[in-house]
Amino acid sequence: MSDDSDSPISPKDTDLDELSLETEAERAPDPPKSPSPAKKEGDIALVNPRSQVRLVKHKGKLHLIFPTTQKLPVKAHWTEIWEQLKHRLNAGEQFWQPGTPIELIAADQLLDTRQLQTIAEALAKANLDLQRVKTSRRQTAVAAATAGYSVDQQTHAMAVDLQQVADSSAENWSPPMYIKSTVRSGSEVQHPGTIVVLGDTNPGSTLIAAGDILILGRLRGIAHAGSQGNYTCQILALQMEATQLRIGEAIARPPESPPEGYYPEIAYMTPSGIRLARAVNFFKTHSFVINLESWVDSFS
Amino acid sequence: MSRIIVITSGKGGVGKTTITANLGSAIAQRGRKIALVDADFGLRNLDLLLGLENRVVYTAIDAIAGDCRLEQALVRDKRQPGLALLPAAQSRNKEAVTPEQMEKLIGAIAESFEYVLIDCPAGIELGFRNAIAAANEAIIVTTPEVTAVRDADRAIGLLEANDIKDIKLIVNRIRPEMVQLNDMMSVEDVLEILAIPPIGIIPDDERIIIASNKGEPVVMDTNLTLPAIAFQNIARRLDGEEVPFLDLMAAHNTLFNRIRRFFRN
Repeated sequence: MSDDSDSPISPKDTDLDELSLETEAERAPDPPKSPSPAKKEGDIALVNPRSQVRLVKHKGKLHLIFPTTQKLPVKAHWTEIWEQLKHRLNAGEQFWQPGTPIELIAADQLLDTRQLQTIAEALAKANLDLQRVKTSRRQTAVAAATAGYSVDQQTHAMAVDLQQVADSSAENWSPPMYIKSTVRSGSEVQHPGTIVVLGDTNPGSTLIAAGDILILGRLRGIAHAGSQGNYTCQILALQMEATQLRIGEAIARPPESPPEGYYPEIAYMTPSGIRLARAVNFFKTHSFVINLESWVDSFS
Repeated sequence: MSRIIVITSGKGGVGKTTITANLGSAIAQRGRKIALVDADFGLRNLDLLLGLENRVVYTAIDAIAGDCRLEQALVRDKRQPGLALLPAAQSRNKEAVTPEQMEKLIGAIAESFEYVLIDCPAGIELGFRNAIAAANEAIIVTTPEVTAVRDADRAIGLLEANDIKDIKLIVNRIRPEMVQLNDMMSVEDVLEILAIPPIGIIPDDERIIIASNKGEPVVMDTNLTLPAIAFQNIARRLDGEEVPFLDLMAAHNTLFNRIRRFFRN
């Protein structure tokens, strides 16, 4: 990546579906394209919603989906999964009714009785009632049965299939995710849709959204909008002090010297990279041009 | 119910152990019964700061393993009635104990003390999880440096994820003359990022280093120094008293400094 502040990175295939990963693996024996440094940058920026704990409403039912242990570069450790689950339950808006039944899709995560118990307790605190556990691991199935939950044990293929069912709703973005707390250093929030933060995001935090990112507070961490390659996506913050801004495959750093004063700003894609503008009049003066994949000032 | 407070920071070297020792002494001076627990297994320091090194016979590990009774492992401080220390083992590392064992041990201590202060090791690994396992409150220590604030922020996130919601902040090692000249983050800057209520602001003072080397916390000195007053104020605030914060800036807001600041900007 060049040192230029707002240098765009050439757009390329951003699809990180499990499917596309597999096809890429199959294509691997072919003469490989030499991995450019830009390619590496892109890899970091890509979102894999499968690597995080997710709470998804699908066909009127609530599912708690754990990441699969395969497909992940680094195995998700129990303490990490636990931490993500707690943050998800604490910070998110409770869009469900008290006592809503929830199904845990544990995929190939190995869970013992005590871990299942702690998950059930945490869910109960958030007014959710764990009833069913789906897993592809025999030990997890046995543990869940011992703890008194109904169990669906599937082969791995079936488990993946189930995950895809839940994921397909992400094709046209999941409903916006509301975070009503400070997003602190070290926490990474990924969401296959728009993220709205009612609070600050601190340095060291990362937000990755397939849609827009709206921060009603200070943006001080990293924000990545349109992570699946959608360049119409924007990042809006009441006070823009981001460590780094990313839209699609483009990356920008804010100017070194802090501005004179802060006002709500919006980050958007232009043919020459990511730009910032005052948010107030943005939509009056700018429009999106599809074949340029960027926003242009319609008055100039 | 006794209050179990973990003192943590994420980053090392910001003054957790010094604050545990001084705050513990200040609380004991108020006539409370308090136990200090050194959770930094493998790197035992708290006994040194309290000047109790030569009185340690058994350690927390011995108490957990059942090699001694809990009362035998607790070192009582002769100079400060009401204060007891549970020293960490130096020979074993942090993996020797599990969070469940710590919870049980500290639960047992809490039965006979009003306060339990836990000195947490640096980092966010098993040692941290052990230290916070039994706590129902936390005090975050940070210095006005970006690295310390970043790590404190991470530690707060982890505490919140572990259902410790009562978190207070101590900003340690403030140097008012540097803050005046905009060379150091101010307390307000730190609070703006961490967004948790402050319970104490402690000025940087070399007498704290002298006191550490003597093994006598500054609050035990008969001539009260500024940091000692700051510690006593924290102890009072913990007890629910409303105590205004020391105005550390006042002495440094001189005409000379204002002129210097004017010409720098």
